[in-house]
Amino acid sequence: MSDTMEGVVTEAEQPTPENVEQKTVADIRSNFTLLERAVAQFDTRFTLRALRSISSLRKRLDERVLCSVIVLTYSPSNATARVLIEAINMDGKAIQGVVAQYKEEIDQNKGNKQDPLPEVDVYIAILIQVYLYDQKEYEEGAEFSTQLVDKVRELNRRTMDTLAAKAYFYFSLFHEELDPKPPSKQSPLVSIRGRLLAALRSAVLRKDQETQASVTTLLLRNYLATADITQADLLVAQTQFPATAPNNQVARYLYYLGRIRAIQLSYTEAHENLTSATRKSPTSTVAAGFYQASMKLLIVVELLMGDIPDRATFSQPRLERALEPYFKLVQAVRVGDLQGFLKIVQTYASTFHRDGTYTLILRLRQNVIKTGIRMLSLSYSRISLRDICVRLGLESEESAEYIVAKAIRDGVIEAALDHENGFMQTKQAGDIYATREPGEAFHERIQACLSLHDECVKAMRYPMNQHRLELKNAQEARERERELAKEIQDGDIDEDDAAGDFDGL
Amino acid sequence: MAENELKNVLQQLHRSLQSHDYQQSTTLLSRAKLALLHLNALIPSEKTPRPHLQLARETLEIGAITSIRLKDPESFTRYFQQLQPFYALPAEVLPKDGSNASKITGLYLLLLLSDGDYAGFHTLLEMLEMVAAQTGKGLEDDAFIQYPIRLERALMEGAYDRVWGETKSERVPSEEFGLFSEVLIGTIRKEIASCSEKAYPSLPIDDAKSLLFLDSEGAVVEFAREIGWVVKDGRIYFPAQEEDLRSRDILVSSDTVIEHTLGYARQLETIV
Repeated sequence: MSDTMEGVVTEAEQPTPENVEQKTVADIRSNFTLLERAVAQFDTRFTLRALRSISSLRKRLDERVLCSVIVLTYSPSNATARVLIEAINMDGKAIQGVVAQYKEEIDQNKGNKQDPLPEVDVYIAILIQVYLYDQKEYEEGAEFSTQLVDKVRELNRRTMDTLAAKAYFYFSLFHEELDPKPPSKQSPLVSIRGRLLAALRSAVLRKDQETQASVTTLLLRNYLATADITQADLLVAQTQFPATAPNNQVARYLYYLGRIRAIQLSYTEAHENLTSATRKSPTSTVAAGFYQASMKLLIVVELLMGDIPDRATFSQPRLERALEPYFKLVQAVRVGDLQGFLKIVQTYASTFHRDGTYTLILRLRQNVIKTGIRMLSLSYSRISLRDICVRLGLESEESAEYIVAKAIRDGVIEAALDHENGFMQTKQAGDIYATREPGEAFHERIQACLSLHDECVKAMRYPMNQHRLELKNAQEARERERELAKEIQDGDIDEDDAAGDFDGL
Repeated sequence: MAENELKNVLQQLHRSLQSHDYQQSTTLLSRAKLALLHLNALIPSEKTPRPHLQLARETLEIGAITSIRLKDPESFTRYFQQLQPFYALPAEVLPKDGSNASKITGLYLLLLLSDGDYAGFHTLLEMLEMVAAQTGKGLEDDAFIQYPIRLERALMEGAYDRVWGETKSERVPSEEFGLFSEVLIGTIRKEIASCSEKAYPSLPIDDAKSLLFLDSEGAVVEFAREIGWVVKDGRIYFPAQEEDLRSRDILVSSDTVIEHTLGYARQLETIV
């Protein structure tokens, strides 16, 4: 599950390290301008753009780059700079080397006494978090992140919300990697719950929706990692997920919610949440892990609901290999093959355990039996209980009788039992178009289209003060018109001239 | 000294449990809990010494078992919740031997099952599964936990004869589990009755007796009268409710169709 939050990072050897380093430093520093603009104009879009570039910067980050950025940004005596440099864990000589390299620029900056914005501090700190995570320095990362989130909380600036959300994200990620790993109850993950809950509370009070959304998903993930489903459920019940949360957070939230509901046997709700989660997940290759995890869960939930997932689902290139065990599972359920189903569960038990779907899959046994009964009732108009028992591999005829009776009551099949003679008689299948079924399916689709439309409208962004501009334009247009009308009245713009153009027609 | 007193009380408790003197057990339990409070060990903290933890766990486990025997599910649930922090402690702090964790947990699962709280049942099961996967030991070897799992599976499948078989005294893992058998048989009987209504047009009384696991034909007639079945000429006839259902169905659906159509109209208006 850990790969669902993080894209895969590949280290690639760069051709000219000098150039790359220079360029990376320049890129990072250009992001500072974005941050400054975000603060000046109070527009989070610029912050988001700076954060988005992290994924491309990430491959090129190393200690020299980070050190250069810090040296260039801060005056030598700055306290924040000291803390940041210490976190990178560079030896003194290397730092001296970097300082010497940029000596000229540093001298130029000397005249400029202004301290950088706190947003810049936090941005650099996030870069350091990313760097430490990629270097697998989990211990240090956890410690540094703890300091960072505390500082962010103290600062309490609305322009920092998006950055704070990111800082919390890495804060939790680091603790997840510390020993003993979850689901052990002694995991450090359990100990950060208090801090996360406090963060959630302040975020709600400050109307900081970015952090609120991020911390809510982190808490859910945290609870689910140690299988504290009751707590997770209570958290969902007691909190309100912000409506304006970024898409990725919504997708995560829906995934966790789907998971909770699936465990609690509310399959319909789970299905709804998971479908939205898979649709909202990014379509590019970055979040393949998330997409796979949510698809796996969705398939199992669909099976539990008695549906058979689409064949096309399994042939998508980024799912094909990951979903292979699930594909075989679906095949077994589809034909109602109980023995084959049990064999698949046994073969892939470790995979299912890792995906966290094992207990859900064990519940499928009854669905396999139901499908088997349905197949039998479709193929035979009358079949003896003895044959049902043999075909489905059940233990006794009595079991078969009770199971069939339950299937009839649950509406799986339309049939009647004859106890004295020991057979099942299938009733004539009714006309489906005489029931409410088509109408309901139609309604469901229309509902989906309508909500899509609503969401589209909500997602549109309107530029600030644009309407005033339009008003002004309209005013001008009206004025022009009036002038024109006046001139026509005066007869200055003569009808002869205007008409003259059309003479040729 | 509270510790010695507690040990004394515990010994008496064991004795009273064996002699089935539950009245005495409850008074002893409250004394034991008071002693635990003096030791500050009712809720485990980092500083609680290991012997105290063991004593506390033992007391609470006896309490849980006593309340099950007294058929007091609320107090059992309370003890179970109190035991959770003890079971969550790592093996280095509190060794697992001497603990009845799986027995108590199994009983709690059975309680959830007999209440029909399937969501709670699966929530707990998910947690157990995760812990078991981590320690490398499967849940499959644990007779106390497997018992409710087997029951749940049979209930969900509808194999009620297997549930009936499991509740026989020789299949039950310990005597406390047997206390739930009555509730479970009541549950499956109700389930079978509702299934039979739909599945059979009519049923001879003799067959109904074996289907419902009842002892005599008189009991069948009694049971049939309770839920309003018609007994005639040695056969049970189930009341036909289909006609009634269908006519209501149309009324309901016409209402929803009107409602939906009006909804579409409103939505269209906002869009256009």
